Amino acid sequence: MTPLREQLGRFIAQLRNAGLRVSVAESIDAMNAVAAAGLARDRMREALAATLVKDEVDRVLFDEAFGRFFAAAATEPGRRRHPDQRGVMESSARGQGQPGENPPLQEHFRETQKELLRDNTTKSGKARGASPSSPNPKEEEVRGGAPLSLVDPRAETSAPRSVVEEAGTAEPQQAGVEGTRMAHLREIERRRFAAYTDLEYDQARELLKPLERRFRIRVGRRLRMASRGRVDFRRTIRAGIQRGGVLAELKFRARRPRHVDLLLLADISGSVRYAAELTLELVAGARNCFRRVRSFVYIDRLAEAEFEQGHLVTWPPLDLYARSDFGRVLVELSKRQTELLTRQTLVVILGDARNNRRPARADLLREIARRCRAVVWLNPEELSRWGTGDSAINQYGPVVTALYPSGNLRELEKALVAAC
Amino acid sequence: MKYSLRSLVEVTIKFVADGLKKAHYITNERVETAIFLALILEKPLLIEGPAGAGKTEVAKVLSELLETSLVRLQCYEGLDEARALYEWNYQKQLLRMQADEASGLRWEEVSEHIFSADYLLERPLLKAITAPRRVVLLIDEIDKADEEFEAFLLELLSDFQVSVPELGTVRALERPIVVLTSNRARDLSEALRRRCLHLFIDFPGVEQERRIIELKVPNLDARLAAEAARFVASVRKLGLRKPPSIAETLDWTRALLHLGLKELDTDAIRAALGVLLKHEDDRTKVESRASSLATRPR
Repeated sequence: MTPLREQLGRFIAQLRNAGLRVSVAESIDAMNAVAAAGLARDRMREALAATLVKDEVDRVLFDEAFGRFFAAAATEPGRRRHPDQRGVMESSARGQGQPGENPPLQEHFRETQKELLRDNTTKSGKARGASPSSPNPKEEEVRGGAPLSLVDPRAETSAPRSVVEEAGTAEPQQAGVEGTRMAHLREIERRRFAAYTDLEYDQARELLKPLERRFRIRVGRRLRMASRGRVDFRRTIRAGIQRGGVLAELKFRARRPRHVDLLLLADISGSVRYAAELTLELVAGARNCFRRVRSFVYIDRLAEAEFEQGHLVTWPPLDLYARSDFGRVLVELSKRQTELLTRQTLVVILGDARNNRRPARADLLREIARRCRAVVWLNPEELSRWGTGDSAINQYGPVVTALYPSGNLRELEKALVAAC
Repeated sequence: MKYSLRSLVEVTIKFVADGLKKAHYITNERVETAIFLALILEKPLLIEGPAGAGKTEVAKVLSELLETSLVRLQCYEGLDEARALYEWNYQKQLLRMQADEASGLRWEEVSEHIFSADYLLERPLLKAITAPRRVVLLIDEIDKADEEFEAFLLELLSDFQVSVPELGTVRALERPIVVLTSNRARDLSEALRRRCLHLFIDFPGVEQERRIIELKVPNLDARLAAEAARFVASVRKLGLRKPPSIAETLDWTRALLHLGLKELDTDAIRAALGVLLKHEDDRTKVESRASSLATRPR
């Protein structure tokens, strides 16, 4: 038993080298699985896969590693390795697990397989005839042409590749494409808005859907939790009187719709444009969480904005080349405050507060904050640059209810959830 | 383990394979092995794959195989512990209090009564744990539930015990066999994945699907069944909005049968396409290629 355990341990080490994350608990599972499932090649492969591969994306990597490590039994047709793949695997496996290094297991394995074959000729003979070597045609495809998928982002730790490059080359094979796509969507979540290319912006918009859902769930649940299970004693007792004082029926307080109006002000000047558009779209998607949502964009003036089928429509049209001036926007806002602000209004401002050295008018913002439920400022700028140059964030910061950094999708989500 | 390894292997893998066959679930070695391991290692089995590839079916077949009942928890946005685990039966507790008061019991005695198992409304998870014999617990579409719920599941899945504050810890008498399914609406946490065995069920290959069709639609001409399987497989490769599931394939072949079609020419394809495809753009896409799909080389 021991040599087998050792071999499996080395196989797992090789998987780890190839970029798979395998925990100790999982490797113990794998040993138990092999002990239970036996050493017939396909059976063992599936047993190891079920315990070690927790994401279909990694399956290609696993199959390749398995094929190399347990390269014993006759090289079956369709299982030939691609020269490129071989190169990648070898470099990442650091020469471990060469076929010649595993004689005990291979022998054991061959024997067991022979035995099992002898035992099951009647049953498995048919199955094997029907679909040679691989029960799942998909697998064949996977092995057939997937040099790309092996270039797992986790496998190479140095030199992060450009996302653009990757998107261009990803093609031939399902699992691999999906895998790389997921990996760099995750990367985009963390990328600063300021560093976006147009392509990345489009990909970020793809991410909005799940983000919107999470946002709806989080904000919506607060409402549900608050009203769930709260007994209305007065009505319960009153209902009990009809039954001679037996409180047989519980009355609950009715759920009230949440009376929050959202007023979003987003700066769409060049520097924070992407952040603004994503926020606008996100809020438009989650409008059901609030009683009323009004979105405005500004540069030096206010303009009502709406998202219609993914396009930003503003009214009145904004001069996109104007110089940002939030002070003037505040003046406009306080003129319209009877129309726009109530005590239930949550004002969310997104911007970098770069006013081109014009008056900040923080006094007006203080007044607005006093009149409504809360004023939350989301600043997409890098923390280290807050308050430098013409940034007036240090004047606005003390008068708003809360100030959050929101430089990438992650931070933006966190800030919005905290704000709403 | 009492048995020698080999006998255990043969008995049980064979048992699983035969059981699946008996339950009319046609599958491959990958699925068999994963199910077998889930049974033997007593670990939850996380099944992923496209909609309609037979993920939920695995749990049903398992319960059939083990001749036990299936407890199902359908996940959705906002599912919470009260709906998944347990809730106190307020009404019954109140009635009990009234009755006890009438008979003059002291509060200590009353409170002892009303927080007992009799007043607990068992939701699926608690039901699965307290069942006197081993059940199959299906947690369907776990990706639809919130992350918080997923975190809550972790305790349950590793220890098979739940703590109810008033009652103490409830430990599983018989560890249920847990099957989780996910459509990847969102990424599941690493922690959950680590605790589960993983199985990816893809759409079946042509050969496997032909066998499924032959089994479930026995009256269909064998040649037509093969053609249908091949057609569906190539339709799935077109990158449609919603590729046809196995259930839809079966409905479609039944429709072919009832329409009295003998072979799959362009007219036959057009005739019942609505059964197979549920989006207008998918339909036009396939219809425009009907001729090339129908006259594929045999």
